[in-house]
Amino acid sequence: MQTSEQLRQQRLVYYAEDIDQINRTVDKLLELSEAGFVLLVDTEGHMITRRGTTPEGMDEESISALVAGSFAATKEMARLLGEEEFSILFHQGEKDSIQLTLVGDRVLLAIVFDDRTTIGMVRLYAQQTAKKLAALLDRASERSDGEPAEAIAEDFGDSAMEKMDDLFQE
Amino acid sequence: MVQINFATKEVSCKIVYYGPGLSGKTTNLQMVHDKVPAERKGKMTSIATEGERTLFFDFLPLDLGTVAGMNTKFQLYTVPGQVYYNATRRLVLKGVDGLVFVADSQPDKMAENLESWQNLKDNLNEHGLALDDIPVVFQWNKRDVADAVPIILMADRLNDIDAPAYEAVACEGEGVIATLRGVAGLVLERLNEQRRPAAASLASSEQAVGASADSRPAAAIPAAVTTSPAPPADPVIRPAAERETVATASAATTAVPVWPAARRRRATAGGRGPVVGPTAAPEPSEADDAPPRRPPRPVPVKRAAARARPTVTPSARLDESIGSAAGAGRGRPRRRGKVWIGVAAGLAAACAAGAAAYFAWFGG
Repeated sequence: MQTSEQLRQQRLVYYAEDIDQINRTVDKLLELSEAGFVLLVDTEGHMITRRGTTPEGMDEESISALVAGSFAATKEMARLLGEEEFSILFHQGEKDSIQLTLVGDRVLLAIVFDDRTTIGMVRLYAQQTAKKLAALLDRASERSDGEPAEAIAEDFGDSAMEKMDDLFQE
Repeated sequence: MVQINFATKEVSCKIVYYGPGLSGKTTNLQMVHDKVPAERKGKMTSIATEGERTLFFDFLPLDLGTVAGMNTKFQLYTVPGQVYYNATRRLVLKGVDGLVFVADSQPDKMAENLESWQNLKDNLNEHGLALDDIPVVFQWNKRDVADAVPIILMADRLNDIDAPAYEAVACEGEGVIATLRGVAGLVLERLNEQRRPAAASLASSEQAVGASADSRPAAAIPAAVTTSPAPPADPVIRPAAERETVATASAATTAVPVWPAARRRRATAGGRGPVVGPTAAPEPSEADDAPPRRPPRPVPVKRAAARARPTVTPSARLDESIGSAAGAGRGRPRRRGKVWIGVAAGLAAACAAGAAAYFAWFGG
């Protein structure tokens, strides 16, 4: 089984420099595809970044969890059907549609678009962007294996416990 | 897996409520949702059947606020408890940082409790994890039923890892927050320890025990154990958290950390693990709380083979009352043949429900 060290190294850590590069890449995707907005979500349901114009009051966290869950379910279906995975999922709505594209093996690119663009345009640019993002994330992963440029504070755990006291007062 | 985003200054942890069907997992989330202030929670999302049985998962995001400069969030999930939905349970477990096992205290549910507990171990194995890798707490729910199984038996049958345990009546909100606080505390403690992977040092109160009691190879273990932090002033935060001292054999031996790094057992009357709740024994004073000697917890634990038992025990009597085959919680005939069709149908239904939830959000 995995040791604490292995688990620590598998933890998802994103540094500001990496997120800046990712944001620039995604902004380019939005410009070319004329999509509405993009969510980058890891396969465990945590949102990494969001770009574009999202609907007012949109619950990003729930959407991220649903994106990850939906992808996980279809991946399992694919496996049962003899496929390794379905790398692209598409759901068509009346006004908006959404396409999920797998980036590497840990991240999902969720693109929401309407009738201002076409599924073909979105898919074309999404695939190109996915490759670029995969390379960026690989570099980010290699960087986080070394000496971290940033780290959470030493008193994080104790401070968090105090916050929980305030939050969970009965 | 904890996500740390230094760009957005966010730390995000995933806690999953696991357990047999109708044990109270969804109720726990609903109660947490009711009790937490509005500015500290998101909307609760439930992907369920028309009969309100969880189909895929329930999801509730909590915002702890800014902690040491990081916006700290907990994502609470439940899994579908019915045996039929094992594939989706496995999916929801991906990336879990903390587990709450919600057990049903009704006597006729013990077999399902046991099956679900074993199922949890199996599904964690599928993800390359063991129970020792993940903070786990137990919740003995439905303590209000007239013939609830005694705590000592619940612990004896289920808690083979000496995890903290909390009594609860989830439908009344009792014990729900204490359980969540317990598991969240363990998750944060683990995060703190993993933050210092190589600079750890042995706890000053450790004593030598046989290193052979630990089945994990020493070479795969980090150099040393982190020093345990001072216990918080408010015992409610970790009232049931066990503190075991970790010991090493000698200076020449690589230290053998047991997650969490330092645990000190609090003696309780009866039961194998400390229990927090109305019927729990009063906690001993700090002066009595001398760290006992005990070997590190083996991974995974096989209770039946680990100790000798008398022929007739309260547990055996319980088995008689609920049926020996059911009490073993094992040996159910496996369904073969067309299981995969059922699994695919379940996954397809979950996808359809998830897509419907998408568009409910988007208004599409």
